[in-house]
Amino acid sequence: MATTTATVNITSQDLTPGMPLNINASSTLMQTGTTTGLELMDIGAGQLTQASGTDALHEALGTLDTANYVYICNNSTNTDHYMVIGIHDTIMGHLGSGEWMFMPWNMGDTDAEIFIEAETSGTIDYTYAIFKSTYTLPASDKA
Amino acid sequence: MATLTPTLTLVSTDATSDELNFSVTDELTVKAPSQSISTVIATATGSHTIIVPASTVIAYLYVRHTGTTNGSSSTTKQVDVEFTTDEAIARLSAGEWLFMPVYHAEADVGVQLHVQHSSPSDEVQMEYAFFTKS
Repeated sequence: MATTTATVNITSQDLTPGMPLNINASSTLMQTGTTTGLELMDIGAGQLTQASGTDALHEALGTLDTANYVYICNNSTNTDHYMVIGIHDTIMGHLGSGEWMFMPWNMGDTDAEIFIEAETSGTIDYTYAIFKSTYTLPASDKA
Repeated sequence: MATLTPTLTLVSTDATSDELNFSVTDELTVKAPSQSISTVIATATGSHTIIVPASTVIAYLYVRHTGTTNGSSSTTKQVDVEFTTDEAIARLSAGEWLFMPVYHAEADVGVQLHVQHSSPSDEVQMEYAFFTKS
């Protein structure tokens, strides 16, 4: 079974004088309540423009209350370029140039898609990874 | 102002035949207010555990579910990280963590923790820190 480990390290030498910050946390990405790793992964890269409006990075077609994780990185080097990140109609945060985020994603219902949007003119390069417990393929429109 | 360096590493040797092993880092400039690594007891009432005060700024937020009620007794109760408007951001299970720049589109909204599917007596010890983007 697949074992994926996510580790975050947050450091600062000058946040508090004489007291360097060093936060370290690690977790193994498991299916909810089990010791079985997550085996479904989507990893990719894309480009966002303001003209493209709000795009669904991934639809919530998994199973209710299962473990899923989202990583998104804004690869733009232009400090004016930022991405709006949200779930359905709730904006969660703004991802500035070079910034990344990692969080569990609960597909609470089908109205829980992850959306991304470019808020400034120009093209924003981004990368993403989504680790999933389960996923239902969208229905085909084949006649 | 201060410099914050967050680094994420994702590693798997057996998820695919091509090993997953990547790391991303960034240098963030932050200013007051900030809250260094802290612990708090989350309860079934979100408004009792506000971890980022209401503001209109972007805050780099780190939250981890310790898997305990008080540092020693284990619990599997999930905890929602949500805006003080009760809009959910993420649901953390035992041992899980998140790091992200949170920002609410409406003015003066903070972030709180809320134990899910719980009785009023259920508690979960959480670890958190936040840093205001400069």
